[in-house]
Amino acid sequence: MPRSVARRLLAGALTLALAVTLTACGSGGDDEEGARGGPTTAARGDSGAGGRRGGVLRVISEEDVDSPLDAGHTYSSAAFNVLAATVRPLFRYAPDDPERSVPDLAAGPAEVAPDGRTVTVRIRRGVRYSPPVNREVVSRDVKYAIERGFNPSVANGYAPVYYGDVIGADRADGGPIAGITTPDDQTIVFRLSRPTGTLLAEAMVLPLSAPVPPEVARRYDARPVGGYSTYAAHQASTGPYMFAAKPDGTVQGVGIVPGRRYVLRRNPNWDPATDDRPAYLDGIEWSVGNDPNVAGRQVLDGRGMTLGDTPTAAIVKRAVQQAPDQIFFSPGAGNRYAALNTKIPPFDDPNLRKAVAAATDREQMRLVRGGRMLGDVATHFLYPGVSGFEEAGGLEGPGVDFLADPSGDPEVARRYMAAAGYPDGRYTGGETITVVGDSGDPSDKDAELVDEALRSLGFRTRLLLVDANTMFGRYCASPRARVNVCPNLGWIRDFADPQTVLDGAFNGAAINQENGSNSNWPQLDDPAINAAMARAELIVDPQERARAWGRIDRMITETGAAIPWLWDRQPVVSSEDVRCANQLWNQGHCDLAFSSLR
Amino acid sequence: MTGYIVRRLLQAVVVLVAVCALTFVVFFLLPSGDPAVLRAGRNASPETIARIRAQLRLDDPVWVQFWAYLKGVFLHFDLGYSYYSSQSVSSLLRERLPATLSLTLGAAVLWLAIATPIGIVSALRRGSWVERLFMGGALIAISAPVYWVGLVALYLFSDDIGLIPLLPGANRYVGLTADPAGWFGALLLPWLVLAGAFAGVYARMLRTSLVETMGQDFVRTARAKGISERRVVLRHGVRVAITPIVTLLGIDIGVLLGGAVLTETVFNVPGIGTLGFDAIRYADLPVIQGTVLLAALFVVVANLVVDVAYAYLDPRVRVNG
Amino acid sequence: MSVGTPGVLREPFAQPPADGGERAFGRSPAQLFWRRFRRDRVAVAALAVVVALVLVALLAPLLLKLVGAPGPNARDTSALDDFGAPTGPSSAHLFGVDDFGRDVFARTVYGARVSLLVGLAGTAIAALLGTLLGLLAGWSRGWVDTLLVGLVDVMLAFPVLLLGLGIASACTLGDGCAGGLIAPGLRTVLLVVAAIGWTVIARVVRGQVLSLRERDFVDAARVGGASEWRIVSREVVPNLLPTVIVYSSLMIPQTIMFEAALSFLGVGVSPSTPSWGSMLADAAPNFDTQWWYMLFPGLALLVTVMAFNLLGDGVQDALDPIARL
Repeated sequence: MPRSVARRLLAGALTLALAVTLTACGSGGDDEEGARGGPTTAARGDSGAGGRRGGVLRVISEEDVDSPLDAGHTYSSAAFNVLAATVRPLFRYAPDDPERSVPDLAAGPAEVAPDGRTVTVRIRRGVRYSPPVNREVVSRDVKYAIERGFNPSVANGYAPVYYGDVIGADRADGGPIAGITTPDDQTIVFRLSRPTGTLLAEAMVLPLSAPVPPEVARRYDARPVGGYSTYAAHQASTGPYMFAAKPDGTVQGVGIVPGRRYVLRRNPNWDPATDDRPAYLDGIEWSVGNDPNVAGRQVLDGRGMTLGDTPTAAIVKRAVQQAPDQIFFSPGAGNRYAALNTKIPPFDDPNLRKAVAAATDREQMRLVRGGRMLGDVATHFLYPGVSGFEEAGGLEGPGVDFLADPSGDPEVARRYMAAAGYPDGRYTGGETITVVGDSGDPSDKDAELVDEALRSLGFRTRLLLVDANTMFGRYCASPRARVNVCPNLGWIRDFADPQTVLDGAFNGAAINQENGSNSNWPQLDDPAINAAMARAELIVDPQERARAWGRIDRMITETGAAIPWLWDRQPVVSSEDVRCANQLWNQGHCDLAFSSLR
Repeated sequence: MTGYIVRRLLQAVVVLVAVCALTFVVFFLLPSGDPAVLRAGRNASPETIARIRAQLRLDDPVWVQFWAYLKGVFLHFDLGYSYYSSQSVSSLLRERLPATLSLTLGAAVLWLAIATPIGIVSALRRGSWVERLFMGGALIAISAPVYWVGLVALYLFSDDIGLIPLLPGANRYVGLTADPAGWFGALLLPWLVLAGAFAGVYARMLRTSLVETMGQDFVRTARAKGISERRVVLRHGVRVAITPIVTLLGIDIGVLLGGAVLTETVFNVPGIGTLGFDAIRYADLPVIQGTVLLAALFVVVANLVVDVAYAYLDPRVRVNG
Repeated sequence: MSVGTPGVLREPFAQPPADGGERAFGRSPAQLFWRRFRRDRVAVAALAVVVALVLVALLAPLLLKLVGAPGPNARDTSALDDFGAPTGPSSAHLFGVDDFGRDVFARTVYGARVSLLVGLAGTAIAALLGTLLGLLAGWSRGWVDTLLVGLVDVMLAFPVLLLGLGIASACTLGDGCAGGLIAPGLRTVLLVVAAIGWTVIARVVRGQVLSLRERDFVDAARVGGASEWRIVSREVVPNLLPTVIVYSSLMIPQTIMFEAALSFLGVGVSPSTPSWGSMLADAAPNFDTQWWYMLFPGLALLVTVMAFNLLGDGVQDALDPIARL
């Protein structure tokens, strides 16, 4: 999924991937990281077991959590973090085990028929919605939840990708999908047009499968305001926590105040007997819009707080030097890259793209975020922990000359400029380059460094720094906005399959002209790469898949369509009395249902 | 008197309409690019954009658009909807007003309290080292950027990160009704910083005004009559010298109510200033526009109030004004 | 113009100076002005500081070379530690470095260029525009005058900072404003300064012109057969100069602060151009650990604005001794 915010993905071809086997290739990432000059701070996840009951955790962040905060719509890590506490998808991950999914709403593992075309899931009894809905969850609620993902007013980004093979999904627009049936209140059956049942079973960890009461949601889904369903403002929770609400169930303004705060309280209708999660905390208060340095200091020195997004370099330094127990570097937290728009001049010219890549000081881009602790300078797109990483070249990468020197190589840049027709090494054309970056600290500094690299090559630039939501929704994920460079992009796996890192991001078939919906940000449309992806999706053998996708990673890197600059180890900072169960499957932030206060 | 008020009111209305027009130009006519797209914001579907086009009557001639906009603002207080949070702009402004109000009025009380004795003493002890000290301090106060002073103040006195932990730092604002003690504590440092800047101006102004007044005939007469120097200054001098202060005070409060952007950002007070500033980060055009319009409204109203008060005090104005 | 921080312009209390004791014979107004100005030691000191600042701004590259400092945009990665945190004042970097490793001393010196350019050029443009329009309004009277007064009232109703913010941000979206002519940056700042500053000057000039045109010497010139144009240029304009000079000199520090405020809020000059305001904005998040980055630009601003304020006071006092008390 994209690092921060939700968007729509076009349906891509699906894979026969045996995701479960593949995730085995992702394990062992922890120790590797630790040995490669990483921090001595804890690299092992905390399961959270044995925590003390009680207390309110305050999460402080600069960036807003996604809006609308609707489980059927969101596709960002912060939103997944919050919603993991309030909704119960069919499956989930334990915080310290990102490889193996366990049943959440489901009563047991999904049953995939031998031909791979049918998936049956049984759900638990005794799971109830929060007040005022109160009633028990039935299988029809899960069916509705998935169907509404196809409703344009909900616009789920991954529904067409992972549920697209369900019979009837190709024509779905919010109405019933024939391929999803509920023979009884506890059973839900998916019939697929292709044998991709195993992938679908794995995809059920995503929040789209969390139940939604149709009698509540239907009226909001049917009459969208400003293009979106407003169900999120009245959502019912099934998890250990719910959004604070008025007696009539209205959440907006109380538990959800976009741009300000989110307030979670215990869900009185949550029955611990139906859930393996301890839910130690009495409540969570998530405050957004905070200055990251002030917030970082408050978290480090205070009590009962944790940072909800990325700390600044100064905070990372302070934590590592003065409070190493309060900072955790979550491995395998995704990649970061700068996308160059390959569809419009001047970056339709690959030589110019490679010149920019060679001129970019990726080492310093990492330095301004906090330095070596934050991960390795990236040389391609699959990151450590994802299968295919070694096959794509590992740490060294495919060995392209324009990425050979992490600090940038002016000589190589000059050569590519000359090859593009600018023998002096400086651009003399008429285009003004629009660069749209994230205004949050430290991402704004990375954007400025990329902007500087462009200007060093003689480009005239217009640098626009906006918040992350706007950056994606209005500019970078909207081809019509005609943005030339987006430096603050990145991708995290949906689950440990290399396809989920490369397909949506670089497949020509994934290009979507709708505003805010394009995930192939550089709009790379290379026929050779597209064909290779189409073939690789169908490979079953995990070793072969790794090789195939590793090769595709090399091909993508060689086009220069995007400049990979970091493989993240996401730093997570908490107060000393916070027992943070870091979500290793996400970005390492505290899992609200497992964390506690000492 | 009534005639004067009516005239000023009419003038104010005209100015307000003109202010609306100018805002309209800046936010509707100036930006290149499709206005509907700019307003629709992120993830806008073609249906949303079409709806906004119809709502803004973008295919009508300019004066029709302006008329619709004018009617919307004046009759319905409809300033549109924030694209970011989908809340109506007017409700957002209403929500943020108390914080700005607290900050402005508190600071005003403080700076008057500081400036008055300083100005008076400086006027009375002309040429002495006291006057030099005070006026020097005032000069520094008006020359230092308020956000810099704010940062230095936090660096020195903030209780979480300052060298001498004394006062609550940034980002601690709570509503008055929610927690009066917390409200007061959180605003102390911002009040002091904001008041410091203005106190310098007012001290200098009061001093000059007072000195000038003291040189006038009626004061000499009062002295000749044997009234004590103290009474002369306080009862006769200050009362007259105050008038330019009042004028300026009204205008400054009017401007600050529109959002003391710089102070609010440094201390993260959730007022109108930060609303406008955040809206820039989100590229949220309707909110930016609403903030600017509201601020202008405050200034116009403040001017009106000051003029009427002035006319009440000084009959000459009513005749000529 | 007020930016939500104090800025007050006094109306001059009297018309062009009666001497109060000076011998007027044989000395031109300019000489009289200089005599009075020279006597005011504080004002002279302020003038010296201003001149020094202008020199620093003009000769910035030379100054840097003399001191051995790197350029304002040269990134010295060795001055950042393993965590990317910048080091403070050292022998290599007099004022320390910023988050990118750029020398703060160099950027402070270059920041003077932006501040002085906007302060001086912006004020000059505003003064010129304001004088012309005020003259036009005051001399023509009638509907031209009414229109101008109305326009001035409207412009003054806008808090300057918010208007500047509004224009800069509105012109950031889409393709900029007016076909891309207006975009955030130095040009827009100058534009906003000129667009708002002219109002104050125009108002004052208009008032003076209105009273001047009733004076005897104007009638005398007319009787003598002089054309309107001659009257205006020979008789009226010279008498406007003191007022315009006073107001302009008082406007300069406010303009400088306005540009700094806009840059602080992120809508002034572009981020890579060194500006004291944007340096302070960069310093704000980390001021408790990187005090040098906050201190030096702030001091520079303080000193500059103070100097211009004192200079303005001195000019006003020298032109208008009755008000000097």
